[in-house]
Amino acid sequence: MKKIVFISLIAGLVITYGFTTTQTMDSCDKKNLTASCKKKLDEFKYDSQKFSKINFQERDQKLEVEVPVFLGEKYRMVFNTSYLPKNVVINVYTKSKEAKKREPIFTTKDAPEGTKEFVFDAPHIRNMFIDYDVPIDGSNPKLSGCVVFMVGYK
Amino acid sequence: MFSTKNLLVIKSTLFVASAMLFVACGNGEAPKEEAATTEVVKTDSAATEEVSETSYSLPSPLQIASIFKKSGMKYKADLTSQVKDPSKYTTNLNKSLNLGVYSADLSYCVLNKQSQEAMRYMKLCRALADNLGMGSVFDESNLTKRFEKNLGNEDSLAYIIAELQMVTDMYLDENDQQQTTSIVFAGAWTESMYVGSKVYEKGKEKGLNTKLAEQMNILGSIVNALKAVEKKDPAITGLIADMNSIKDIYEAMPSVKNNNPDSDKPMSFTEEELSQLTKKIEELRAKFVNG
Repeated sequence: MKKIVFISLIAGLVITYGFTTTQTMDSCDKKNLTASCKKKLDEFKYDSQKFSKINFQERDQKLEVEVPVFLGEKYRMVFNTSYLPKNVVINVYTKSKEAKKREPIFTTKDAPEGTKEFVFDAPHIRNMFIDYDVPIDGSNPKLSGCVVFMVGYK
Repeated sequence: MFSTKNLLVIKSTLFVASAMLFVACGNGEAPKEEAATTEVVKTDSAATEEVSETSYSLPSPLQIASIFKKSGMKYKADLTSQVKDPSKYTTNLNKSLNLGVYSADLSYCVLNKQSQEAMRYMKLCRALADNLGMGSVFDESNLTKRFEKNLGNEDSLAYIIAELQMVTDMYLDENDQQQTTSIVFAGAWTESMYVGSKVYEKGKEKGLNTKLAEQMNILGSIVNALKAVEKKDPAITGLIADMNSIKDIYEAMPSVKNNNPDSDKPMSFTEEELSQLTKKIEELRAKFVNG
C-alpha cells in the first residue's frame, strides 16, 4: 500500500513537471504583443516584426537580429519584453557584432527597472542590428521567454 | 500505517507537487521562473542552435513600393504579373514566391491609384494564400471587405495592406513558417526590382537609379535570411543559388567596388551596369512567374 501511494506521488510529480516545462516554452501571447507594439507605432506604418525566443543558459548570450533599412526613410522601433522572465538588455547598432568597432545608437541598459516597452525613433542609417544581451541563468535550464520588436516607417 | 520517516517523505513530496501544480495552472501570462530543481537537464541542441544564430527581419513589399514611388517612379501598365490563374503554381516554393510577386504588384497598384488592378491582385493574393493554408489572415479585422470599401482611397488602402502584412507575419510566426516569410519576400523583392528597372529603362530617372542601387544592398540580407531557414525546405537551396547569381554580378560591378559602404552619399549605377542587372533580374522574375 505504502509503495503504491509513493509511486503514485512520484508519477504525479513527473507529469506535473513535464506540463509546467511545456507551458513555459509556449508562454508568449503574440497577438497581445503585436497589438501592444502596434499602438506605439502611432502614425508610423507597420513594416515588420520579429519575435525571438530566448532560452536562458549557463553562459552569456548575444543574440542579433539584422534589420535592413533605407537611407532617407524615417523609422520607429517598438520593443516589448513583457514575456521575458528576466531582464535582457537591448542594444541597437549600425554594424554587426562581427564589426571591430561599433557604438550603440540605442540601449535599454539604463532604463528604469520594470520598463517592458521601449520606443526608439532611428536616425537616418543604412542598417540596424538589434542585440539582445541575455544574462546567465544556470538555475533552471528550461527558463525561457520571448521578446518582440516591431518596425514602422513613414 | 506509515512510519514517521516515510510520512515526512510523503509530506515533502506533496508540498513540492503542490508548488509545481500551482505553477502549471498559471493563466498563460508572462512566464515565471519555475521552481528550482536539483536535477540537471541539458538544454537541447535545437534550442541552443536557435539562440546562437543571427536572424533577419526583412522589410515589407509595401515599403519598397513606397520608396520607389517617392523617387518619382511612374506607373506603367502591363509590367506587373499577368498570370491570372494562380492554380498553375503547384509547389509550396512557387506558391510562396508568387504570393510575393502578387504582393509587390498589389502595393505598386495601390500606391499608383490603380484601384481595379489592385483589387485583382488582392484576389490573387487571397487565392494563393488559401492554397498555402493561410487564407484566414484575409478575414482578420474584415481586411478584404475594408479593402473593397476603400477602393479609390490610396492612403486607406496602404494602411490596410500594412495591416494585412502584420497579421500575415504573425500567422507565419505562430505557425513556425518563417521560411515562407523569407521566400515570399524574395519573390516580392525580385518583382519590385523588375518593375523598377523596367520603368527606369523607359524614363531614365536618376532618382530611381539611386533607389534601385539602394535596394541591391539588402540582397545579402535576403540570401542570409533564406540560408537561415534552408533546412526547413530543401527547395530553398535552388532559390538561394538564383539570388546569389544576382548578388555575384552586383558585387563585381565597379560602382559597387568603388563605393564606401559607410558613406551617406547614395550610390548609383552606370547605364551598362543597370542594363546587366536588369537582364539578370528579368530572367529570374520570368522563372518565378512561369513557375
